Amino acid sequence: MNLAALQENVSAETTTVPRRERGALVRLLTCGSVDDGKSTLIGRLLWDAAGVTEDQRAAVTLASHNRAVNGERIDFSLLLDGLQAEREQGITIDIAWRYFETPDRRFIIIDSPGHEQYTRNMATGASHADIAILLVDARHGAKRQTRRHAAICDLVGIRRVVLAVNKMDAVNWSEARYREIEADFRAMAGSFNFAQVTIIPVAALTGDNVAYRSTTMPWYAGPTLLDYLEAVDPEAVQVDAPFRMPVQLVLRAAGDFRGYAGTVTSGRIGIGERIVDARSGLGATLRRIATMDGDRAFASKGDAVTLVLDTDLDISRGAVLSEVPRRPTNADVIEARLVWLSETPFDPEAGYLLRTATDLTPVTSMSVSALVDFETLASQPAHACGVNDIADCRILLGRPAAIDLFRDLPLTGSFVLVSAIDGATVAGGVISWAQAGAPAVGDNVLVLDRALLARGICSDLGDSPADLAEFNRRAQEVAVLLRSVGVPVLIEI
Amino acid sequence: MTALTSHLKLLEAESIHIFREAAAQFRSPVLLYSIGKDSTVLLHLARKAFWPAKPPFPLLHVDTTWKFRDMIAFRDKTARELGLDLIVHTNHDGLARNINPFDHPPSVYTDVMKTVALRQALDAGGFDAAFGGARRDEEASRAKERVFSFRAAGHRWEPRRQRPEMWQLLNGRLGKGETVRVFPLSNWTEGDVWRYIALEKLDVVPLYFAAERPVVTRNGQLIVVDDERMRLEPGEKPVLRKVRFRTLGCWPLTAAIESEAADIDEVVEETLAAKYSERAGRLIDHDQAGAMEMKKREGYF
Repeated sequence: MNLAALQENVSAETTTVPRRERGALVRLLTCGSVDDGKSTLIGRLLWDAAGVTEDQRAAVTLASHNRAVNGERIDFSLLLDGLQAEREQGITIDIAWRYFETPDRRFIIIDSPGHEQYTRNMATGASHADIAILLVDARHGAKRQTRRHAAICDLVGIRRVVLAVNKMDAVNWSEARYREIEADFRAMAGSFNFAQVTIIPVAALTGDNVAYRSTTMPWYAGPTLLDYLEAVDPEAVQVDAPFRMPVQLVLRAAGDFRGYAGTVTSGRIGIGERIVDARSGLGATLRRIATMDGDRAFASKGDAVTLVLDTDLDISRGAVLSEVPRRPTNADVIEARLVWLSETPFDPEAGYLLRTATDLTPVTSMSVSALVDFETLASQPAHACGVNDIADCRILLGRPAAIDLFRDLPLTGSFVLVSAIDGATVAGGVISWAQAGAPAVGDNVLVLDRALLARGICSDLGDSPADLAEFNRRAQEVAVLLRSVGVPVLIEI
Repeated sequence: MTALTSHLKLLEAESIHIFREAAAQFRSPVLLYSIGKDSTVLLHLARKAFWPAKPPFPLLHVDTTWKFRDMIAFRDKTARELGLDLIVHTNHDGLARNINPFDHPPSVYTDVMKTVALRQALDAGGFDAAFGGARRDEEASRAKERVFSFRAAGHRWEPRRQRPEMWQLLNGRLGKGETVRVFPLSNWTEGDVWRYIALEKLDVVPLYFAAERPVVTRNGQLIVVDDERMRLEPGEKPVLRKVRFRTLGCWPLTAAIESEAADIDEVVEETLAAKYSERAGRLIDHDQAGAMEMKKREGYF
């Protein structure tokens, strides 16, 4: 039986995939503040759970003796820190990807840097993870950067979090200290949407409660880190999610073949079912699901396929194919929470592009309304944001795009913001609200121009950059309110 | 079906997604085809991504002139049977200066015949994106790399300034002078590659299977003598031993392992039980500490 035959078997089992199948691949993030021991913890896990080959063991043992940071001990972080600058400085700069497997599971470990300066790399890693291990040093508890990392995990959609209270050896294996950190973290986790929070006391240096049960902390009855990882259910399976497939490419081949290539991001579709292009509203019937391994009867979430329709919809890359009843919003205004990744701060005058699943849409205007305060984790009103900030914003698009809400459908409800000047990825975000409002320019359109706004609602504003940003924000706010009651609006300021 | 074959389905779909994203966003991509097991899987996934059309890009092989003869035969047969465009490039300037793996240290040889040669070929073809079969499990600096790995002008990798890459959103907008290396196999391991080759019944170069081959032992490494250019030390004499390769490159610089694994199932079993990483047999990577990172900074793929 080849892989295609295996796939058919899986698809035939409808949406209730067996647990073993779902847990076949688990993506795991480690994060937390600098020096709390992330690389050491993962190095220890790999070392003890057999993810390390003999030549790697020999190389790390040799390098550890040369550095001797832990006395005679092995420096497990050397297994992760693969860049020369990292080894020289003893810090993690960029995420490291490591792989290991137990009899039932393949793990992908994403080790992220703790320094605030490299938060963009941590955010990259977090967006790929099913589960996060957040580390704290038992001596210090949660720091500002710990809270920032927790907030980013929450933002990118991680729902299962382990708090590893590390360096328990340095607090004399104290249960009291552990309980204090536990209570503190449970209170903090209340600010987020985590579905499951597990707290484990560990010592990466000695390996206690990593792969082996600690004998020095008899008061702890929960799982070791490895026990937890082998048992956890990585993904909440969404039953009966609506079908979505963003089109990556239109494939043409001999014999008038014309198919839409893409990966199904949610739900399931079968031959003979109706499909609609969310942007144009055009519909068609699914005629073939073509793959090199032969045609298929169904395609479901995660499948990379090519769909052939009974009529030519004249659509291209960027279109989102959807089921008919529950479609994406054809939105030209969205609200989102984003993490700013670029060293260059947000500039309302700069040109940006919104990259959703496979679409790239020009941003007409954008404004920031609030920032997350990493001390209190509350939102504070703001108009500006810069590197490593988490901000709430409103974005107006130059044309409508097919958009879902992140909490419903993460893969069609997330985006990156791209600089129109140099192509850099400046922010990543999740959509919390989307509205269709594209007015056809005609008789009934209300034009909000500068003079109109300056007369009343913006009469208190001057020419400073902050005032201009606020002017812009109010204009959009008025437009959104009017559109919500069906008034077509154009902003011309 | 075990859990550890079903995860291959997820990896396959991820790789196809990456191929399609790159083909949609870059003007002129090329696939770096180096004939080994990773390239075999890479090419197979490229065919799946665009089927029933052919992959919309040519293959590029950087030929140092020191590849195993079996590799060259396999390369030409593959391109012919699949009807794909194959570009073969050799650094003729290096050849004229007689840069070879016997007279020059591996770092010099690799730089001239592989890194410089690759830059020449990419520049000559005007390619803005190159698919490579690199996997993050291969080596410490590879473990740090993005799927879309941006290179500044001159093909330099700047590991401290990698572009954020969130969710499945691959942003391929290029800045001035930038090109990109695309790695669809980023999340595959050596074990995955072999399990996939077995499941999909893919042909690979016969050198991966154990057979009696003429071998000399140098610094504890087994070197198979592939042609008459071998420089034997005084007293050295090739002896027939049953060996195979875990990784293929230039024959004087690629060590074989003693093995009885003569078919695909035995190779899968041996790979999953291996105690040493595959790059232990790559002589060029041990030349200096951080050797791979330095090569990559200079434009090695």
